[in-house]
Amino acid sequence: MKGIAHFASGVAAASFFPWAVAAARDGNPVHFILGGLMGLLPDTLDFKFYRFFYKHDVYIEPDPNDPNPQRIAEQIADAVRTAAREHRTVRVKLSTIRLGADYWQQYEVRFDPEANRVRVRFGPAVNTGQVPVPGSAPKEAREGSAALDVSLVQTYDATTRVDIFDGPTFAFEGQTPQRVVLHFLPWHREWTHSFTFGALLAALGGLIWGWRASVVMLCGYAAHLIEDQLGFMGSNLFFPITRKRLSGLHWMRSGDSLPNFLAVWLSCLLIFWNLARRTPEAAIYDFGLAHILFYGGLIPVGVFGLLMHWAKRWRPTEAEAPLEMADEWGDNQVG
Amino acid sequence: MSAALTVLLASLIGAAGSSVLACLPGLHVYNLMGLLVVFIHWLAAAGHPLPPEATIPFMAAMIVGWSILNTIPSIILGAPDESAIFTVLPGQKYLMFGRGFEGTMMTGIGSLAGVFLLIFGVGPLAPRILPIVQTVLRPYMGWILWVIITFILMSEWPKGGNVGPAGWRKFLDAWKSLGAGLATFFLAALLGFILLYRPPIASEMAFQNIMPAFVGLFAIPWCLLNLISGAQVPPQHVGDSVDVDPETILRSVAAGGLGGGFAAFFPVVTGGVGGLLAGHATAQRDERVFIMSQGVSKVIYYTGAFMLMFVPGLGLTRGGGAWIVRGLFTPRTWGDYYMVMAAIALAGAVSFLLMGFLTRGTIRLVARVNYRYVSAAALAIIILLVFAVTRWSGLAVMLVGTGIGLIPVLFASRRLNCLGILLFPIACNMTGIGPDIARFLGLI
Repeated sequence: MKGIAHFASGVAAASFFPWAVAAARDGNPVHFILGGLMGLLPDTLDFKFYRFFYKHDVYIEPDPNDPNPQRIAEQIADAVRTAAREHRTVRVKLSTIRLGADYWQQYEVRFDPEANRVRVRFGPAVNTGQVPVPGSAPKEAREGSAALDVSLVQTYDATTRVDIFDGPTFAFEGQTPQRVVLHFLPWHREWTHSFTFGALLAALGGLIWGWRASVVMLCGYAAHLIEDQLGFMGSNLFFPITRKRLSGLHWMRSGDSLPNFLAVWLSCLLIFWNLARRTPEAAIYDFGLAHILFYGGLIPVGVFGLLMHWAKRWRPTEAEAPLEMADEWGDNQVG
Repeated sequence: MSAALTVLLASLIGAAGSSVLACLPGLHVYNLMGLLVVFIHWLAAAGHPLPPEATIPFMAAMIVGWSILNTIPSIILGAPDESAIFTVLPGQKYLMFGRGFEGTMMTGIGSLAGVFLLIFGVGPLAPRILPIVQTVLRPYMGWILWVIITFILMSEWPKGGNVGPAGWRKFLDAWKSLGAGLATFFLAALLGFILLYRPPIASEMAFQNIMPAFVGLFAIPWCLLNLISGAQVPPQHVGDSVDVDPETILRSVAAGGLGGGFAAFFPVVTGGVGGLLAGHATAQRDERVFIMSQGVSKVIYYTGAFMLMFVPGLGLTRGGGAWIVRGLFTPRTWGDYYMVMAAIALAGAVSFLLMGFLTRGTIRLVARVNYRYVSAAALAIIILLVFAVTRWSGLAVMLVGTGIGLIPVLFASRRLNCLGILLFPIACNMTGIGPDIARFLGLI
């Protein structure tokens, strides 16, 4: 899920504890700050720290003056074959292609399991807002492909788009000479996304702010891990006891608008409910969680859903967007 | 003259007046409203009091008109105010692709949708819902602000460190922009503390205290960048239609309504912050939705905050406009509420109709005159206005603000970090630690 959904969930988790609400009322916001901070911390650690130190075996850095899709496809296929042949994990980093201060060459990498090939296709140049530059789309297909020669097992989406800022990483885990498992962003959702690491941080926080803060921290962290488990990728929930990421529930994709919005909205409603039931001034109003969820959640979301259903008639159905690394974090890249 | 006719005329004149005001880069509607209040008090003292049926709709129309039409200089002249910083980047991209008219009109459509949301959504529901929300949240405003600050500081994306082998070099390259963002926030916070505890602006202009700092933080760096980079604006296409559909408008209203509403309701949270939260919360990737949602957010933020003062049973004063008008008039009846809503509806319609005409005029100006000269003229107007209102001390504050505002421009970090000037000192004060920090800084 996006950062704000995790952050809001962490704050909502904090609001369930009476001591957090009481302290906030007395002017001490530390529990709520810690809840939100811990809600966002797993991704912060991955995207702002760990990924810059994560070592790759192969760096694919296309020449901006002569970007060649065939060359990229062959390099990827080479890495897959090496992983199978040497029975080890080969980590591959795909770099973005910067064409100018605000321009990037967009390309897509698709693993085609039926043809057993990797295909790389160049798209238009895009600006940093990921908007195609008019007239930059290639007139003829600029596509490269290479045979994989082994059976590739995918744990995530088949197509990955590379355009702005940082490119994605693949880890090819060679299990047998004929079988390779593909992992997307292998540095992501590993040790940072485990209950054990969250508990360690909470224990450290407890030494500074006391056991109550420790409980809030752990719950904020856990909220993030549980939400991530609803998606495709899953997390390594009990590192170092477990060594691999569990598969997610496949209920949603990290970048989808609706689940992200609903998570934020539900968090806001829960925070409101927790504050309302602990605020003496609000006792004059007679409402409970069911009222809040009905009037604050079901009715507005239902009305909006109906309007959207009507509005969609005016717009052609779009193909599902390819996977992007930004889906995992989701800064709007402006401002 | 009947009260209804007075309201109608005052709204129309206010909207028309704001169309001139909005096209002047750097001049905020609150600056003019502050001066107008001084003038209205002077008239009353001279024995010519103006009735509230004239002054309140006029002020409301000024706010509506400005919040809709100020998009024009923000995008086409490149001189944004704080609430427009999100619109400007994608908006200026449209300008550089020859689609400045389309980008401006899309924001305008978003603004009109925001007016519809205010009149038909917020208007009927606010008196029923907001008093309850306010009763529950009033004791907790302090921590909510701290939580927002935490999110702003944590949610910036590293812009460097994209190529090369793993290691410290890559890490430090990535953290250049993040570090610059943090430095911007805390330097702006320091400036905010100084302005709050040792205001250098003369006391008779105290209501303009923050204006030179905001101009320095947000508008001047943009003008300087335009001047230095020597950007050439390509010929602009002025089309008959805009590429939007009902779904895009609905998505924009949802995102912008949430962000603007949040900013309008919570103290110190500005339109820029609202825009950031809305963009994240609704996970928008479509640039058209993004641009339009900022138009919605800006109208809801400025106009909605003003409207809150009139919501029966709420008694909430939010935003500079409401604080300025509070000294003139205290709303008491449902009639006052309906009067303000009527003024908002009228001004919204008039401003939107003016938008195409004014955008075409501004585009013609940019086509005939070198963009560098336009930016230089915008810069000169801004500096003259700051000097006219706040004299030398204001210029000094503006210069300091410019220095801080240039950091995100030079290091490609978020300009929103400049809002540390408001968020940090006020959050400290709301949780009771402001005076301690001011004492530590030697300000009291």
